[in-house]
Amino acid sequence: MASSMASLLLQILVDALLLGGVYTLMAVGLSLSFGVTRIINFAHGDVVMYGSYAAFFAFSGLNIDPLLSLPAVAILGAVGGYLLFKFSIDRILEDVSINQVLLTFGLGLILQNVAVILWTGDERSTTPFYAFQSWFLSDDVVVANGRLIAFGLAAAFMALLLAWLRWSELGRATRAVSQNRAAASLMGINVRAIYGLSFALSSAFGAATGAIMSFLLPITPFMGFPILVKAFAIIILGGLDSILGTVIGAFFLAIAETAIAYLVPQGIGWAEGVAFFLLVLMLIVRPAGILGTVGRDA
Amino acid sequence: MNFARSSYLLAACMLAAVAFPALGQAQDTIRIGAPLALSGKFVSYGAAAKRGVEMAVDIYGGKVGNKKIEILFRDTQSDAQAAVNSFTQLLAEEKVNYLIGPIATPMAMAGLPAWRRTKALWVVPGATTPLLEEEAGKEPMLFHTFPYAYHYHISLARILRERLGTGKTLAIIYSDDSYGREHLPYAQKYFTQEGFKIVAEELVRAGATDLNPVLAKIRRVHPDILLGLVQTTDGIQLTKQIYVQRLNVPYLIGTAYPQLKQWQDATAEAQEGWVGVTTYIPGLKATADPKYPKLFPNSDAWIAEFTKRYNRVPEFIDVGAYVSTCMLLIAIENAGVLDDKEKVAAELKKLDVQTMIGRGKFVASIGGTLNQAFSDVVVHQRVKGTDAILFPKEFQTTDKIEPATYAK
Repeated sequence: MASSMASLLLQILVDALLLGGVYTLMAVGLSLSFGVTRIINFAHGDVVMYGSYAAFFAFSGLNIDPLLSLPAVAILGAVGGYLLFKFSIDRILEDVSINQVLLTFGLGLILQNVAVILWTGDERSTTPFYAFQSWFLSDDVVVANGRLIAFGLAAAFMALLLAWLRWSELGRATRAVSQNRAAASLMGINVRAIYGLSFALSSAFGAATGAIMSFLLPITPFMGFPILVKAFAIIILGGLDSILGTVIGAFFLAIAETAIAYLVPQGIGWAEGVAFFLLVLMLIVRPAGILGTVGRDA
Repeated sequence: MNFARSSYLLAACMLAAVAFPALGQAQDTIRIGAPLALSGKFVSYGAAAKRGVEMAVDIYGGKVGNKKIEILFRDTQSDAQAAVNSFTQLLAEEKVNYLIGPIATPMAMAGLPAWRRTKALWVVPGATTPLLEEEAGKEPMLFHTFPYAYHYHISLARILRERLGTGKTLAIIYSDDSYGREHLPYAQKYFTQEGFKIVAEELVRAGATDLNPVLAKIRRVHPDILLGLVQTTDGIQLTKQIYVQRLNVPYLIGTAYPQLKQWQDATAEAQEGWVGVTTYIPGLKATADPKYPKLFPNSDAWIAEFTKRYNRVPEFIDVGAYVSTCMLLIAIENAGVLDDKEKVAAELKKLDVQTMIGRGKFVASIGGTLNQAFSDVVVHQRVKGTDAILFPKEFQTTDKIEPATYAK
């Protein structure tokens, strides 16, 4: 009995950690672009979706493994993100927030409908060998290789991003713009260029996440919205302008959802409710999120 | 004065033409409304139904008698409000007497109130969950041409009992959307009736990222059979995660998704051993109808014709929509090519044809639909990348159900 409970707790821990990795990937790009520009990119989920399709077509058409196509997909995402910024978002930077929300929301709808026209609503998936493999920690504690890879990549992405923000000149400029736009501008930093860079990086992370999701989730033109919703909940939990807060929010949510799904009867049906209950609670108790600085006045 | 009178006459004619645009067309066309999901999440259903309807009209010759067939496609956008608009536009503005579609139950249910106002002759080649039957099954102008959920479970439970014997244990996973919740009571009823013991019933959220908590619970009760009552996207996720977990359940049963190419492509080796139900599957060797061999040829000839036109293999909705449209057109012709829905309904009830998906004859369903055709389902299993047919007997290619690959 004790051994059965121990293995259940171990499985909960394993699943929560691996799910936290997936959630981190979903949210980090959104957090980066908001942290710098203070614009919530409602098209972010659709950027993930396009990354998934790019990886899918590289896999099915050119037989390239999603992990190998990932760098190219990320570069394409960066270019797409920059163009999206330059030709649309850049023009409404000084507008009221509602215009920015409507613009990115509209862009998301356009991207989604273009995908339906191009590729129909059929579900697709890449099928690399590791997506079907797993290993057993004990008789009934399973670790899925696909999710383990996602977890590893999430950790690597975060390390790279944090290192870039801390030690590179552009990274420091990005942090400066994030902390105080006016002061950064007075210091000679080209704020709009940093905005463009952060959008490009955010989209690169989104597209790379899509390449990873291509073997974890079914790919459809509609996959972006649930990802966006989850990412949105995570960055509110963690703090809208904090990358580290996003990681904490992702794991906090994953642990809460997984524990409830395992321990509460029919709990998996409550999991989504948990995300939004936590979100509402956080908005009431601490609007800035766990590590964020942007709250009610943002 | 004469000028003024002719001007008034001309103006009156123009006004009449604007006010009653359908009058000119009504005399030489038969108009059929087709509310289908041509965008949004049900687009694959709508696109397949559109192909089937268009091919039927084309093979029929584009005319019934001397009247041109005009199909008015309207996009329900996979959205309930847009579906209401599509139905209202077709029934109240276009005043069509015949409807075919939609496929997904939520779209049909959304259109129901608008349909009740005119009660056009309505052919529904989809809507498996019996909500439509509960609400409108007794309506004489509703013609349902697809099995209901309970038809799936009656056949599945019977075949599994025949092949595996009695006393087996069963775990059910069902989604929290209308599909899963509507299927669940029928699965409970018919599997219990056939002597299966249900040892677990687990809810999953539609679109869930992680199904492991549910699978871990099922692993602990060691069922002989797992039944997944979910739709395609969740079916892909469920199939892959069951395989990755090496869930020790020998027999894996789905509903409609194991027949779909998109499910098969997305699940790769994880699809081995899955059992599914459908109305049509490649390998069914249906013979041609003796009276209408051009419309209902043998299945090989029909598949060849479809593949030539669309450069793809037909799936069950392509065939279902084609057959349903052909039956409607035959009934219109038999009624004397009149735009009289009551007479056409009477002809449709009399129709008895041999089609690629079985006998096309409307009878009352066990759940109370007055006009139900195509209640028999095909039970098949994915074995080495192809379909082994377990039922019906006349098309059977194997009498043995294989355990899932990793359970052997």
